Amino acid sequence: MVAAAAFVGLVLGVGALVLSLALLSGFQAHVRTRLAEEAPHVLVAPAGRPDFTAAEGAAAKLALLDGVVSVTPVVRGRGWITARGQAVPAVLVGREQRDGIRLDPAQARQLSILAGEDVTIVSSRTRLSPLGPVPLTASIRVTEVAALATGRKQPEAVLPAGMARRLFGLPEGGATGFELRLSDPEAAPAMALAVREALGAETTATTTWQEANRPLLLALRLERVAIFATVFLVVIVAGLNLAATSAVLAATRRGDAAVLTVLGASPRLLGRIFLFAGLLLGFAGTLAGLGLGFVLAVVLDATHAIPLPAELFALAHVPFRPAARDLLAVGAFSLVWSFVSSFVPARMAARVDVTEALRAG
Amino acid sequence: MPGEPLLVAESLARGFGEGEGRLELFSALSLTLGAGEAVAIVGPSGCGKSSLLHLLAGLDRPDAGRVLVDGKDWASLAPEPKARWRGEAVGFVFQMHHLLPELTAEENVALPLLLAGVADSAARAQARELLARVGLVRQATSLPRILSGGERQRVAIARAVVRRPRLLLCDEPTGSLDAAHAADVLDLLLGTARERAGALLLVTHDPGVAARCGTVLTLSSGGLVPA
Ligand SMILES: Nc1ncnc2c1ncn2[C@@H]1O[C@H](COP(=O)(O)OP(=O)(O)O)[C@@H](O)[C@H]1O
Ligand SMILES: [Mg+2]
Repeated sequence: MVAAAAFVGLVLGVGALVLSLALLSGFQAHVRTRLAEEAPHVLVAPAGRPDFTAAEGAAAKLALLDGVVSVTPVVRGRGWITARGQAVPAVLVGREQRDGIRLDPAQARQLSILAGEDVTIVSSRTRLSPLGPVPLTASIRVTEVAALATGRKQPEAVLPAGMARRLFGLPEGGATGFELRLSDPEAAPAMALAVREALGAETTATTTWQEANRPLLLALRLERVAIFATVFLVVIVAGLNLAATSAVLAATRRGDAAVLTVLGASPRLLGRIFLFAGLLLGFAGTLAGLGLGFVLAVVLDATHAIPLPAELFALAHVPFRPAARDLLAVGAFSLVWSFVSSFVPARMAARVDVTEALRAG
Repeated sequence: MPGEPLLVAESLARGFGEGEGRLELFSALSLTLGAGEAVAIVGPSGCGKSSLLHLLAGLDRPDAGRVLVDGKDWASLAPEPKARWRGEAVGFVFQMHHLLPELTAEENVALPLLLAGVADSAARAQARELLARVGLVRQATSLPRILSGGERQRVAIARAVVRRPRLLLCDEPTGSLDAAHAADVLDLLLGTARERAGALLLVTHDPGVAARCGTVLTLSSGGLVPA
């Protein structure tokens, strides 16, 4: 019964560790994939000048780079979105092949506006009128209200590139930057170098998706370390539990230890027998815990057992992804700890006072 | 070595406790046991019979004196050789069978062989052979808890003699048995000892059991005296 309790404790500890790490891996993999999916892999911006002109042929040069899947010219600027007398400042991003404007849910909420309604965009640029300088404006229908990739500091509104050029006074074919998507998102840093080489290092600035999301990625890594440390404590406690159990086992089996001595077992052999018993318990508990955690993670993930409020998380359920690396680390730690935990009780058993034990039993 | 006694105890002293509460069991106990001898030790409960057996088996250290089994002094042996020698030279039977509850009868009997490094199959074969000799073929795969008291004690005896020790020490081997079973067990012990030209030393309460041994000694504070 004591052994069973320690066994269950170890199974649960190891299982909890595996499950937490799977949860963490799931979330992190999700965030990373979404970042790589939605954020441009390399942002190309002009340096020391406001925009790229059509004459430069920058888009064509970028498209020629090996590993670039798509080049999207963007026209970026600041302004206000107004509707029904309300105005919110916004980062406005113009893209080709887009009708209407896409608003961020935060913007839509502030303006109390739904898809299908019209808004007026007010640029930070002005034109001269008989009445003096007046801001450039344009009216456009809201076609979509949706959040963009995680990791954006400010909400962005996306509108057609032509309108954006007019609002920000760019010539036809001009762009304030390019968004590159790559065949291998992880190759973004190398690509950024190639881009600066191709367009002129002096006049071109680049930002990779990793750079743009550095705080988020760092936070993910820290979170991992923190969870690891926290849940490791659970396994340590489970291991101590095992030590206590091994000690109780050694005490309750004192009689047996004495009988084995009488039958010719040396103290060293006795120690090994009890160490083996503890290890067996630790091994079985670790294995069962790994299995339990793994199966739970797979089942919880496959059955979408834990739903998330979609508006908040942009994914409908809690993802679990048990990683082989985590299973190995947890298993190894648990086994080593089981060994350490069984060691002292085994030595106790080896030093059993035979006459005492025989009198008691 | 012919003529050499199997067991020699010289001027053994053993007591427990300190000062006022000190209990001196015996202070100058000597005993010699030769091959083929069977000796019974009797005495009131608490007089130190079990303590004496533990000293003789090298499980406990005397306050003074020494014990030699087949010429070897327990005190001169390091833990490892001591354990090896005990397994080889001494068979021990307890009042309570002290079988390991998780092991079958066969495994219990094979245990001393396994501890000595004999291969599993060979150890089991010898164990089965010995169980057959004590009339427990059918019970070989039974766990101790489903055996009767007499059967358990016979398994324990098989276990004690499976390595063919020349010295058999028994601590009230029939103490927990009824008369019929006790007679059985005693036959077995005496037979085994005689067969091997070994020596049998048994502690008992039972005058009937004692009477079947060649020599009966009474343990008192002075030592062993003929009954
Ligand atoms: N390890 C010990 N510590 C203290 N007292 C002991 C110990 N072993 C035996 N005794 C005492 O020594 C006496 C003799 O015990 P024991 O040898 O078991 O007697 P017997 O077997 O003759 O009944 C008892 O009073 C017992 O309490
Ligand atoms: Mg006794």
